[in-house]
Amino acid sequence: MSGGPNLAGGFDDADESVAEALRREAIGPLQQSHWQTFVRGGLKSRNLIVTIVAIALFIFFSVATEHFLAADNLLNILRNLSFVGIVAVGMTYVFIAGELDLSVGSAFGFLTVLMGFLVARNGFDPWIGMLAVVVVGVAIGAMNGAIATGLNIPSFVVTLGALTAFRSLALILSGQNPATTEGIGLFYDVTGGYIGGIFPWLVIWMAAVMLIGGAILAFTRFGHHVYATGGNRDAARNSGINVNRVKIICFMLTSGLCGLIAALIWGYLHVAAPITGTGLEFRVIGAVIIGGVAVTGGRGTIYGTLLGAIIVGIITNGLVLLGFSQYFGDVATGFLIVLVGALDMIVQRGAARGLQYFER
Amino acid sequence: MAAADSNPFLRGVGLSKSFGHVRALQDVDVDIHEGQVLAIVGDNGAGKSTLTNILSGVFPPDRGEISIGGEPVLVRNPRMARNLGIATVFQNLALVDARDVACNLFLGREPTRWRYFVDRRKMRDDARKIIADLRVNVPSIAAEAGQLSGGQRQSLAIGRAISQQGRIVIMDEPTAALGVRESRKVLDLILRLKARGIGIVVISHNMRHVFSVFDRIMVLRHGRVAGVRRKGETTPDEIVRLIVGVETLNPSGSGA
Repeated sequence: MSGGPNLAGGFDDADESVAEALRREAIGPLQQSHWQTFVRGGLKSRNLIVTIVAIALFIFFSVATEHFLAADNLLNILRNLSFVGIVAVGMTYVFIAGELDLSVGSAFGFLTVLMGFLVARNGFDPWIGMLAVVVVGVAIGAMNGAIATGLNIPSFVVTLGALTAFRSLALILSGQNPATTEGIGLFYDVTGGYIGGIFPWLVIWMAAVMLIGGAILAFTRFGHHVYATGGNRDAARNSGINVNRVKIICFMLTSGLCGLIAALIWGYLHVAAPITGTGLEFRVIGAVIIGGVAVTGGRGTIYGTLLGAIIVGIITNGLVLLGFSQYFGDVATGFLIVLVGALDMIVQRGAARGLQYFER
Repeated sequence: MAAADSNPFLRGVGLSKSFGHVRALQDVDVDIHEGQVLAIVGDNGAGKSTLTNILSGVFPPDRGEISIGGEPVLVRNPRMARNLGIATVFQNLALVDARDVACNLFLGREPTRWRYFVDRRKMRDDARKIIADLRVNVPSIAAEAGQLSGGQRQSLAIGRAISQQGRIVIMDEPTAALGVRESRKVLDLILRLKARGIGIVVISHNMRHVFSVFDRIMVLRHGRVAGVRRKGETTPDEIVRLIVGVETLNPSGSGA
């Protein structure tokens, strides 16, 4: 507000009766107008919309193709999206905290090579190798987060740098030929193997990460602080939340999960190729955005992210079954990301306009 | 008012602050009593924000002392201020739009069980109590802050300040950007809080709003106290003259 003292503003006597009525209303029971119910419903039903889209796609491809509904094809879809799904849990945290991590693909590649380096070239037990790559992953996240928050550099820039650097580090560390393994033992059974010869262990890992990640985000104090940090950083800080610490932990979680999938893909493919995970960042971010997590921070759920990943998986798989080349899956995913973003903007602007009207 | 002569809850003496060679505040004394509304008025740049920022711990004064209950205290940051019973409702309201009323009321101090998990039931029940207690009209505890009207948001921010055991609450332009009806609700809330013994500091440009709630009014001009008046001993005209610094226009209106 500008200007000097305002003598003209305030109440006129004619407002007195209105003020009285409002005062009575203020004492009355908590009530909700139709308009507010509508807006709130719209925001809350975000997960509902994503669920409906996923079911619609599921039904469409079940009818349109012969093989989509087969059990092995459905398990195939789930297995293929497990790597994206696991990292998308971390990315959901990062997005809700109002940040972005572009380095996941190359961190994944680097950590996979590191896994091969430790296990195949240096004879470490694969479980130790898994622990090591998760720890190194967490350290990468700590570094990304500390640089972004400590020096107040946009995480877009910091993680873009990490994206470039870790891909090259992966190439340097792997040498000329990628490490390989015979893949015999319990580790390889419970990472790349199948339960009863049918159900992929990778899906179990994804389910576990999503359940734990979802519970922490939704029910813990830390989860609440993640939402507050991305929703209104100043408010969170004023309320005594250490927003930088929250953000750093989100980055650590995401890169740590890159370490986990590095160990899992080693257990699954038995090869540590330095190009592993190229373009993973876009598939992960795509799943997160399609799942309704706000790019601007403060909103989103792991459930939405799961559905986003499933939608991407169904489209990619279904289009191939329809006879399209595999690349059309990425085209469709890209289209969907823009569509969801556009819908979001329309809903938000509509809500803002509606609220202005409501206040009058 | 009756309590005016009792010992103040908070007393600031000789508070001064410079930014570069701009003297934002010079030798300002301020008393804040529980159960009273102190209005601070002044033109832009008069030092209102500097004074409130010092009181709420945003930055320390260059010189001067603050004491609470007679004990000198150092207020190094907003959290420290809060622990001393000084709550501030910042102008930007500090609400998280995407979170519901209960989450906003307990932002940063969510009740927990098993140490890490938020006790949602307790949070909701307590939030409902606070809202009912303050008679703030919000559609529902589960409504997102972003859906609330300006007055409801302001009330929510004030409610949070109070529920954090605030003995005094500093409000920076609480009615700015609010409509007539919304402003009335916020002013009513201020009077209810005062009735329960909470000390309130209101910074405002709106003379009508100030005159409907204040017990004492302090006018700042160029970083100095231009005058302090009690309710019933002054008029809006006199306050305006103090604000702009032309006391000679109507000598009969001068108070002290």
